[in-house]
Amino acid sequence: MNRARQFGTLIGLVALCFVLWILTPYFLTVSNLLNVAEQTSINAIVAVGMTFVILSAGIDLSVGSIVALSGVILGMALRDGQPLMLALTVALAVGVVSGAVNGLLISHGDLPPFIVTLGTMSIARGAALLVTEGRPVSGFAASFRVLATGRVGFVPAPVIITAAVYLLAHLVLTRTTFGRYVYAIGGNEEATRLSGVAVRFHKAMIYAVSGLMSAVAAVILTARLNSAQPIAGMMYELDAIAATVIGGTSLMGGEGTLGGTLVGALIMGVLRNGLNLLGVSSFLQQIVIGGVIVVAVLLDTVLKRKHRA
Amino acid sequence: MRNVTLGLVVIAAVAAVSCNRGGPPVADAPGKPTIALVLKTLNHPYFVDMRRGAQEAADRLGVTLQVQAAEREIDVEKQMQIVENLIQTGIQALAITPSGSREIVSALVKARDAKVPIIVVDTRLDPKAAADAGVHAETFVGSDNYEGGKLAGEYLVKATGGKAHVGILEGIPGHETGDSRLRGFRDAVKGATAVTIVASQPANWERDQGFNVFQNMLQAHPEIDSVFACSDLMALGALEAISAAHRTGSIKVVGFDALDDAKKAIAEGTMAASVAQFPAEMGRVAIESAVKVIRGEKIPDDIKVKLELVTRDNAK
Repeated sequence: MNRARQFGTLIGLVALCFVLWILTPYFLTVSNLLNVAEQTSINAIVAVGMTFVILSAGIDLSVGSIVALSGVILGMALRDGQPLMLALTVALAVGVVSGAVNGLLISHGDLPPFIVTLGTMSIARGAALLVTEGRPVSGFAASFRVLATGRVGFVPAPVIITAAVYLLAHLVLTRTTFGRYVYAIGGNEEATRLSGVAVRFHKAMIYAVSGLMSAVAAVILTARLNSAQPIAGMMYELDAIAATVIGGTSLMGGEGTLGGTLVGALIMGVLRNGLNLLGVSSFLQQIVIGGVIVVAVLLDTVLKRKHRA
Repeated sequence: MRNVTLGLVVIAAVAAVSCNRGGPPVADAPGKPTIALVLKTLNHPYFVDMRRGAQEAADRLGVTLQVQAAEREIDVEKQMQIVENLIQTGIQALAITPSGSREIVSALVKARDAKVPIIVVDTRLDPKAAADAGVHAETFVGSDNYEGGKLAGEYLVKATGGKAHVGILEGIPGHETGDSRLRGFRDAVKGATAVTIVASQPANWERDQGFNVFQNMLQAHPEIDSVFACSDLMALGALEAISAAHRTGSIKVVGFDALDDAKKAIAEGTMAASVAQFPAEMGRVAIESAVKVIRGEKIPDDIKVKLELVTRDNAK
């Protein structure tokens, strides 16, 4: 069932590419496809964390604000001339800690994820604005920008980073006990607890993973813009949720794959790119993207109902 | 079966949209140069006017115009994606209103590499960031926001007889447009010793935030008798807050942009003045300049579009 669902999303992506290939000569070129891959990388990485969270039947609304907070901390460290490795470590740590705070409040405080992350969404955003006094941070050494402008062969660095993140996260999700617990908690939290799994600890970890992914996305975003903005990442939570859900992960938890999420993120990226290439009005673009999200979920629900009946 | 269904739906959606798009596709018009105009957003009357002016010029000059904008004005990453995507379609010139003066430079590097000439409109590039990246804009088309702020400040000094307690509503901090207006305003009132700025807070260009921020300001500083808002949307928000506090008419509000709603408020006497920019004119000049660049003609580095103070005397 899972595999079939994922396959279905992939067919959707291929069909979309096929249509764009017919409609515009600019779509199926190496430079444009790399362009799409690079543009999709940020949402794809945030969506990795979102997939972990949604698989565990949770939700994380704070990802966009954590992108902003990690980004400005990274930017300030770089601006002040700290070594690249130190700055990156601090930025990733900010992401992990912010995520862990979410996780601890949810697991040990027994609070609904929606409310907790709604609160931290505002807190992290406010913190990002506070430390920067609302201004963008810039003035980085050129070496940092390699993370966005660098190429390995002809493949842009953000695409390489995204591939590495997906490979690693996929292994964690499919080959470790932590990964199995993510599914188990989403499938039936009570049963998982009764079978002796430290559910609270693992739930906190899941949100820490999400925070870490936001921080990785922040690194790419900051390098891409050559500037860290405290207002960056607004609405990223919605794009990440959309990619995850289009990719076939059930909002009820327990069901879904990272491969699906990657395809979901690519569908959104290809759609935006294609609509730009076709010169479709910005307003219509929003309608189309929203429509695809709704239709994907609708089909999923209908088919599951059929499957059960 | 679901695989096929999803595929069909996606195809249908894209096909429906592509039939609906305005104007012919770029590829179908060989010989006719295509110019892209990338705006900050299209949900603000200012940029809608700019597009109108640009479209009229494009129709007159026989060029194809592609207008794209991010969903939200502050989303410079999305604007960057749009620029990257449009470069793929082989546009001959790019006119852009940068959502971030520094950030957009990264995207313009790609335009430069693709040999697409760049016309910057309305908001300047950060000179240092552009120089560091080796990005050169053919020209800047826009009005001088500093001069506009100064115009507003000079008016306020005169209208209050040089004695005022001013509350300021700022745009998004760190944005060139708002910062310049603010500097102009502050420089203009500096000379008038009895004009004090009692509060200055960002309301992020938005009407509802203008309302809330000014309401709070008025709570903290009831002595405020004048407002300078860096945009009319925020000024209109402040007007609502003033009316909610039953102080309509006793506080002089000066805005920026001369939006229709603001002009109406000025004519009614609830608002004092607004600095008018001419976005349609900017759009027109931007496209004319782009066409000249494509034809290999020389154009000036800086093209100033006029500013005008709208008061009750000239508001329609």
